[in-house]
Amino acid sequence: MSIDNVTLEILANHARAAVESMAYTLLRTAHAVFVSESQDFTSTLVTAEGKTFTYHQDTGTTWMVTLDCEGFIKLIDSYEEGDICITNDAYSGFVVTHYPDLMLWKPIFWKKELVCFATCFIHHTDVGGTVPTSVSRDNTVVYQEGIRVTPRKLLKRGKVNRDVLEMILANVRAPEQSWGDLKAQIASMNTGERKVHEMIERFGLKTFKEGIHDLIDSGERQARDIIRSIPDGEYRFSDYIDEDSAGGWPVRIAARMVVKGDSILLDFTGSDPQLASALNVPTGGGERPWIVLNGFVTAFYSLVPHLLLNSGLTRPIRCIFPEGTVLNPQFPAAINARSIAAIRLQDIIVGLLSQAVPNHMPAAAGGAVVILNVATVDERTGKRVVTVINPVMGGGGGTPHADGPNGAGGTCNFLMNTPLEITEAHAPTDILRYELEPDTGGPGTYRGGPSIRMEFQIHSPSTVNTRNKDRSKFQAWGVNGGKPGKAARYLINPGTNREVDTGNADNFAIEPGDIVSLVSSTGGGWGSPLDRDPETVLADVRQGFVSVASAERDYGVVVRNGVVDGQATQRRRAALRKEKAAGYFDFGPFRDEFERVWHDGNYRALTEVLTTVPVHWRFFVKHRIFEALARRGGTGIGDDGSAVYEAFEQLGREVPLPRNLPGPRMRARSGRRRAASRNRVPASASSA
Amino acid sequence: MGYRIGVDIGGTFTDFCVFDERSRTLQSLKVLSTPAQPGSDVMHGLRRLQQRFEVDPADISYFAHGQTVGVNTVIQRNGAKMALLATKNFRDLLEVERLRLPEVFNLMSVRPAPLISRDRVFPIEERMRADGTVKVPLNEDDVREAVRTAKAMGCEGIVVAFLNAYRNPAHERRTLEIIRKEAPEMFAFTSSDVWPVIREFERTITTVLNGYVHPKVRDYLTSLQRVLKREGVPATPMITKSNGGVMGAERGKTSCAQVLLSGPAMGVIGASYVAGLCGERKVLSLDMGGTSADVALIENGRPQYGVGEHIGDFQLFIPSVSVSSIGAGGGSIAWVDSYGSLKVGPESAGSDPGPACYGRGDRATLTDAFAVCGFLEHVKLGFGEVTLDTDRARSAVGAVAQRIGRGLQKTAEAIIHVAVSGMYLEFGKMTAKYGIDPRELALLPFGGAGPMIACFLARELGIGRLVIPTAPGVLSAMGGLISDVKNDFIRSLMLRLDDGALADVQRGFKELTDEARRWLKDEGHFRGRTELRYSADMRYLGQKFEIEVPLTVRAATKTGFARMADDFHRRHQQVYDYCDPTAAVEIVNLRLVIVGVSPKPEFRKIARSSKRPQPVAVQQVHYDGTARRVPVFHRADLKAGCRFAGPAIVLQDDTTTCVLHDFDVRVDPYGHLIIERRS
Repeated sequence: MSIDNVTLEILANHARAAVESMAYTLLRTAHAVFVSESQDFTSTLVTAEGKTFTYHQDTGTTWMVTLDCEGFIKLIDSYEEGDICITNDAYSGFVVTHYPDLMLWKPIFWKKELVCFATCFIHHTDVGGTVPTSVSRDNTVVYQEGIRVTPRKLLKRGKVNRDVLEMILANVRAPEQSWGDLKAQIASMNTGERKVHEMIERFGLKTFKEGIHDLIDSGERQARDIIRSIPDGEYRFSDYIDEDSAGGWPVRIAARMVVKGDSILLDFTGSDPQLASALNVPTGGGERPWIVLNGFVTAFYSLVPHLLLNSGLTRPIRCIFPEGTVLNPQFPAAINARSIAAIRLQDIIVGLLSQAVPNHMPAAAGGAVVILNVATVDERTGKRVVTVINPVMGGGGGTPHADGPNGAGGTCNFLMNTPLEITEAHAPTDILRYELEPDTGGPGTYRGGPSIRMEFQIHSPSTVNTRNKDRSKFQAWGVNGGKPGKAARYLINPGTNREVDTGNADNFAIEPGDIVSLVSSTGGGWGSPLDRDPETVLADVRQGFVSVASAERDYGVVVRNGVVDGQATQRRRAALRKEKAAGYFDFGPFRDEFERVWHDGNYRALTEVLTTVPVHWRFFVKHRIFEALARRGGTGIGDDGSAVYEAFEQLGREVPLPRNLPGPRMRARSGRRRAASRNRVPASASSA
Repeated sequence: MGYRIGVDIGGTFTDFCVFDERSRTLQSLKVLSTPAQPGSDVMHGLRRLQQRFEVDPADISYFAHGQTVGVNTVIQRNGAKMALLATKNFRDLLEVERLRLPEVFNLMSVRPAPLISRDRVFPIEERMRADGTVKVPLNEDDVREAVRTAKAMGCEGIVVAFLNAYRNPAHERRTLEIIRKEAPEMFAFTSSDVWPVIREFERTITTVLNGYVHPKVRDYLTSLQRVLKREGVPATPMITKSNGGVMGAERGKTSCAQVLLSGPAMGVIGASYVAGLCGERKVLSLDMGGTSADVALIENGRPQYGVGEHIGDFQLFIPSVSVSSIGAGGGSIAWVDSYGSLKVGPESAGSDPGPACYGRGDRATLTDAFAVCGFLEHVKLGFGEVTLDTDRARSAVGAVAQRIGRGLQKTAEAIIHVAVSGMYLEFGKMTAKYGIDPRELALLPFGGAGPMIACFLARELGIGRLVIPTAPGVLSAMGGLISDVKNDFIRSLMLRLDDGALADVQRGFKELTDEARRWLKDEGHFRGRTELRYSADMRYLGQKFEIEVPLTVRAATKTGFARMADDFHRRHQQVYDYCDPTAAVEIVNLRLVIVGVSPKPEFRKIARSSKRPQPVAVQQVHYDGTARRVPVFHRADLKAGCRFAGPAIVLQDDTTTCVLHDFDVRVDPYGHLIIERRS
């Protein structure tokens, strides 16, 4: 620390005032619905090296506190006053993480010296590609996901570079809107530049330059203090995305966290291979990608409220991402739907920390944040309209002190819904229901918040886009005796003979009169439901959050004629306590069933065999192995991974699998497995 | 000719401002508030006025009164037990709000418990469409059943808020009839009566707040009326409103949501009036008391209006004077966090125990920092009754000094600078929100602590000029006595602005005008000039936020209608720096404000003297790292036209003004201190 604490505190206030002003300027002037509806933007200040030293908290996304822009900053040869650069390409420096985010940065000079950068992104409504809004899980390569703007100058010494601008606008579906949003971004960074100049006038150049690094050091110190309070040890956790492609197999993300003193190592070895769908998270194998580590920012903030927010918070953390995996895909793997994986990563970080500091972390939140758009024709005007209907997500997980919030929670707490009256006035839409769904929040001493049930009917042929659907199979887990939250249900025409389960499909057409029904996945419970105060359970029954049947089945509380039957409750609870309890985490039956086949042993074997084939083969190989094990119907599959080795060998006989150099260890082990398999499993695997 | 009286009841003090219409002079008075015995503080004050200024209650021609009963009821959550009747399948507006959680970075963040728990929310079968046609008729049996159950549960009142009722209130009205018949003893409010605006959650919570505070506000106003009658005050008591206007107290008993935020609003109205007298076009007002500071922007003598102001855990969506609250006051406590960083607030020593130098507390506050610097050496508190205990301030600040390893004076200064930088952060957000440059503004500080800290804040913000009102401690009470009779009316339309909308717009404005005139007539006593202000909330089709556009011509005519779009494009250009005259425009709401303009007191100019005022003392003050000898003046000795250079300390009964050495002071003809930064 080179400047004193009092000055630093004052500088921290000024720096935050600067970025709040930047964010307000952007919010006031932007066009995109994602700005006003989803707050999907940031506008902040970073050091000359690209590290965030302050962050807005009143508006904008909460996800990018530890943004590090070094990756793209260094791809521009030289900076001059008045330049503004642009990129949306993740693979150019691994700062941006999907194509709709057009990210700009502006060098800020003081007397010809570059002192820092302003930077900002907006999730633009569309950047071209195969589908409107550019986000579809089903894309496989980046060329389908929109125009790739590799780092270049949009403004040169204050003048717009028309060649670049026109090329971008010619490739997006709403060019006027995009240009409006780019102007808002430029205005926002100009505000930032003015504010930095004011700060330098107020504090002096030396104090400013040293101070912004000291702020990051303070952030780091806070994080190290927090980490020191977490018991040393090795913690493991994994969680899943329902499908790796349309109708595909689950995606596993596995993490090992080593806490030692004041630092953390996070190793994602064992996570799935990179996917032939758009769920990949482009990290470039960096040590602290913001999109992966954001979960630590909210977790730390939950442990120590009013933390100083900047990139120093994740400095004590180092990640390992093996190349060619879902968290470190090779070019040109598609990435636009990476939010699903990013949300799951946040669950995983909470799951890891929960084992270390169980009394300070919540159970999993709903874990899927469905953004709902309807494209239809307004019969009154004949015009095509795209309506944004509510985000459908949550509730949150129970915490060590309180029930999870209703219909929200987790890491998208900044989202707002759209008033139904506004939606109905705009589009030929009848909202039929927007209400909490009873018996959904994971039972617990503190239960998960109930799901939202949203149902609507459109009276003309329409396309419904429901991006980021997930958690309709794997449930949000309960903790410490708490039960998992209910999985999501995404239906058309529920309860009729025309009922269709759309599963996680994100784009589908509906006919006039169809009813679309979405019940969000919801959070797990914290602590045993048998320890929940019977009177609190009764209050839930009275308020309709919990049915009488669930009170008895899940909480062991017998409610008769509107009051708790004390003796029956005691008996019921005593009986329930004798039943076999889940472990510290309760993942629910779907995952338990899945892991009977796909347990750690088989995943270890899968990871091992996949590393022996080139990256672009891995998704294919994974699918074939999953299919092979599925054909065996779960019978005769041991915990040693032999079934995987067998399937892999079999596949090698069927297709010309190119091999990376198989390590000696691999050869030895697979040889041993082969021998074992000959004894144990006869023709069933090879006959298929 | 008589006395006009404004009264503002705060947590600690009840302020009185009296304007004598004969002598055109203003007097003020503070008495202790008596929240436990409503009305007795007013009675006490009236008697003191008679003793001190010979104000005969029989000569009081106007009496305006601001109260905090409603807002305290929400903060303390001790309002009415109620039921909510909601459209079936849409029962959870209060549980879900607008989704967003209060603390977005905190994984443990939860929403506040709703004011009506879910077991008292009754789904009613009925449904209006967005165009106001009936989709599902009202099931009256559902209503009767709900009323019976609510009664059995011990509810005092019922709130009715159905979907799309802003467009067609028929179901709400019929439901109200049934409630009146089935349970005449229960109070009932409908969303279409309280504030018929589009957006179901906003309309519902506003109606719920109205009901929640209703019994307490009603009882309070009844006892106030009784006191005034007993004391022989002939004037009809008026009550101040969140929109900066006033209305009869009788009406306040039911229109409770409109009076919830009247306290801060009145201060801003008072500040607007002072800004007008001084000819200041853009002013930031700063009302700083013991626990918090309220900031507002005043342009051309008019404050900004907005919706969504916070009351405790909730937001209120009727038009209010737009005020940003900052958690910094004279009582804000200085502390050191575990990283050795000095912090000030948001915790406050409030009025009890108060700053250490008030003689009871022992934790260092912002006021103590000023005391240690030497600014408050000659200050007498509570109209001369208490002298500050500077030694106590020194030992409190000394404890902080030890923790951060600095000297006493340096620590006191650090406390001031940290507090000011925190205020700078909040001011910065506000100026960014409105898109204004603080350097164009004048700062108008009032309240007990505003003039004390104002010069420091002006430096930080780059503001060059300050205006200190003549009675900074009672500006809210003064706001009450100059307020106009005023009410807002709204019709939500959600129509595209084209020729097809003409009939709807004409009808809408006609209805609003009739309603507004009826409202003013019902006020009964009002005899002055009337103004009708027409505006519309509009946006480009597809935008999510609408802006309020004052209409240059009454839009009920055909020409006026044609100009609505022009008015909108122009306003959009002003606010967002661009407009698109070819794009489709949507009208969200029509608005009408009716104003019964009250006669404004004409303040008398004060005596002139160009003679240099004589300081009553010279005080050693430490700041900016230097000890300076600073002259101390009594405000009453400062005559119009006199000028002096800072540093200086100006004492008066209700506040202390600290002028730093890089500022100059002049006294304007009305006695305001105009303080300008020397360039």
